[in-house]
Amino acid sequence: MASLKELVEFIAKSLVDDPSQVYVSEIEGETSVILELRVGPEDMGRVIGRGGRTANAMRTLVRVLAAKQGKRATLEIV
Amino acid sequence: MAEMEQAIEAAGADVEAAIAAGLARLGVDRDAVEIEVLDEGSRGVLGLGARAARVRLTPKLKAVPRPAPAAPAEPVAPPAVEPAEPAVEEKDEAEVSRVVLLELLELLGIEKARVDVRRAEPAPDEKAPPLVLDVRGSGVNVLVGYRGETLAALQHITRLIVGREMARRVHLVVDVDGFKARREKSLRRLAHRMAEQAVRTNRTVVLDPMPPHERRVIHLALRDHPWVTTQSIGEGNRRKVTIIPRRQ
Repeated sequence: MASLKELVEFIAKSLVDDPSQVYVSEIEGETSVILELRVGPEDMGRVIGRGGRTANAMRTLVRVLAAKQGKRATLEIV
Repeated sequence: MAEMEQAIEAAGADVEAAIAAGLARLGVDRDAVEIEVLDEGSRGVLGLGARAARVRLTPKLKAVPRPAPAAPAEPVAPPAVEPAEPAVEEKDEAEVSRVVLLELLELLGIEKARVDVRRAEPAPDEKAPPLVLDVRGSGVNVLVGYRGETLAALQHITRLIVGREMARRVHLVVDVDGFKARREKSLRRLAHRMAEQAVRTNRTVVLDPMPPHERRVIHLALRDHPWVTTQSIGEGNRRKVTIIPRRQ
């Protein structure tokens, strides 16, 4: 089964200049998952995007996969 | 050349194709780089569940740039894989886009999808038609989402990743089972129907909120209409098109 963490990791690593600083942690509840994405300070803009567009697009994709697993997911960029 | 020393990652249908793509980007020969296979990829069964191969190429210190970039087809990729390529760059962009999208689809748990790549027909008001990546297969309808929201997200992310891989902006559109093509047709019909109503009642017709590209379809459909003008009102995702009868 595809994992939420892998999805976020793949996207983030593909967008940043320094993939070695990409960390994703997953906090799982019974019906919900909280994903925390960390990237290097220089790369924040790349994963957030103009007006938060990239961050929101990632959230949308995360929700689609989570829904398949019967969960609600939130993605936070910290 | 400082950037010569940087390692790059490249993707392709198989390891050979990934290496070839990477070498083309660096503009060096195969013996000028260290090759590390990150993912061998998989062709899947009958073209299903295929995964991109990924490699990392690190230029060796005294990497000599390829003497003549015009020298075509270095024997890096077996010729059987790529028969008669019309334009190298064109093929590359299509292939990279397809591979990136397939990877995203797999991570989204959609493993049985196929991606057809084609160049859109040039529209009268566009200079360069986009590359259209149409996702087909079972279970792909979840990729559309409410008012195409998921599709827009998938397209945005695909564009960004391919753009980085190609090191330039790419003009590509992601569609699912021809959803966008159908939606555009029905939007144009809606535009004309509502224009007719605006004229008949001599009142402004306000449409439902739509995303930017859908509003654009309405504006374009009625651009040359003799009796109405269009205008968007509202903010953000509440923005909607109004169809206004022209004053006589």
